[in-house]
Amino acid sequence: MTTLLVAKQILMAIYSKYEVYITPLLKFLLALVTLLVINSRLGYMESIDKLTVVLIVSLMCSFMPMNFIVVAAAVFTMLHLYSFNLETAVVLGIGFLLMFLLYLRFSPKDTVVIVLLPICFLMKIPYVIPISMGLIGTPASAVSVACGVMVYYMLHYVVQNTTVIASMADEETAAKFKFIIDGLLSNREMVITIAAFGITVILVYIIRRLSMDYAWTIAMTAGAVVNIMVLLVGDLMFDTNVALFGVIVGTIISFLLVMVLQFFVFNVDYSRTEKVQFEDDEYYYYVKAVPKVTVARAEKKVKQINTQRTAKPVPRTRSTHES
Amino acid sequence: MLNEERIILMTQMASYEANEGKKNVAIGSYFRSDYIGWQVLKSIISATIAFVVVFAMYIFYDFEIFMMEIYKMDLLEFAKDVLFTYLKFVGVYALISYLVYSFRYSRARKSLRLYYANLHKLAGMYKSGRF
Repeated sequence: MTTLLVAKQILMAIYSKYEVYITPLLKFLLALVTLLVINSRLGYMESIDKLTVVLIVSLMCSFMPMNFIVVAAAVFTMLHLYSFNLETAVVLGIGFLLMFLLYLRFSPKDTVVIVLLPICFLMKIPYVIPISMGLIGTPASAVSVACGVMVYYMLHYVVQNTTVIASMADEETAAKFKFIIDGLLSNREMVITIAAFGITVILVYIIRRLSMDYAWTIAMTAGAVVNIMVLLVGDLMFDTNVALFGVIVGTIISFLLVMVLQFFVFNVDYSRTEKVQFEDDEYYYYVKAVPKVTVARAEKKVKQINTQRTAKPVPRTRSTHES
Repeated sequence: MLNEERIILMTQMASYEANEGKKNVAIGSYFRSDYIGWQVLKSIISATIAFVVVFAMYIFYDFEIFMMEIYKMDLLEFAKDVLFTYLKFVGVYALISYLVYSFRYSRARKSLRLYYANLHKLAGMYKSGRF
């Protein structure tokens, strides 16, 4: 444990020293992964399905605000969908527009979740996002998480029904619209996932704010369990064919990842908790102070053993010579 | 001679100005009613656009059936229904944005008050010649 703590402190020191380079690098990597995933799943427009284009846009994202990644991802998605089928692009474009008009214009800080969640879905660990957002976000993060889930399921539906939509090319526009909208709105799995993730975010947030020992760990565990429960109950009620094994394994892996997050963000020593009470003119204060776990970093000190000779050699006096 | 206390205070304030403070100063330059009113107005415009888009989708979704039934239905009643739905939607959205922006305004003012107190403290340090 001590080694881990020392490693954490070294990492933090490195980050604070090279923050100017590390933050853009992380943004670059996130943008790169996002755009590569979009291209690999949707790559209908050949002109943007090129590594050079992806690299240039990712480089732009690296020194722009975080929300720019979301915009770049949305533009890439829309261009691909436009190349694939106009009706699909219009329906999903309206979905994005509604999200932007009704939620993103509040410019919440956790917009990036909308990009991260679909990526986590593809990695089969989407559960890491609602638990983490409950720990480091606010209850409003539930809306960001819901938007992320909607984006994933909208794109998932398009990818799954590519051949069907493509074969409808000759049919009327209205019929295509109807097919796409029906598919998106009747997606019960999406509704259940939104409900499960929303409940998880709010529950984790409420528990971790409680003034009890190990609130974070309890919140994480409760969040993971409730997430599985809601997904399973939803599956039983609406018969959505959720892969039980996948949900449990995914949740366990997500839980372990969130533990890493907890180690970095909130690592405290409850055994040394102090409770104090005092008052001033206006209030009584009931303060619970929980110390952070820290270790002193071993610093290498070079100790010089051989002292430098500063004294000048004593010149021989004539008298000594003479004697 | 360097004054450590002053340097710490100035660093904190510079960091605030560069990050969170930028937004808060912009918010703080408005009166409360002006700021919230302007933001709620923007929300109403956004909600109206969103409603029009959704309504257009709704019509287009069953366009043929809608065109067939348009002669049979009571248009006045239909328009009234749409208007009420619109008002409910915009009303709820405006209320939510009112709450969000009221909270943001009071938070920004609070944080600016602290910033100005620090500025005052700094000015005091210069006056008393502690540098």
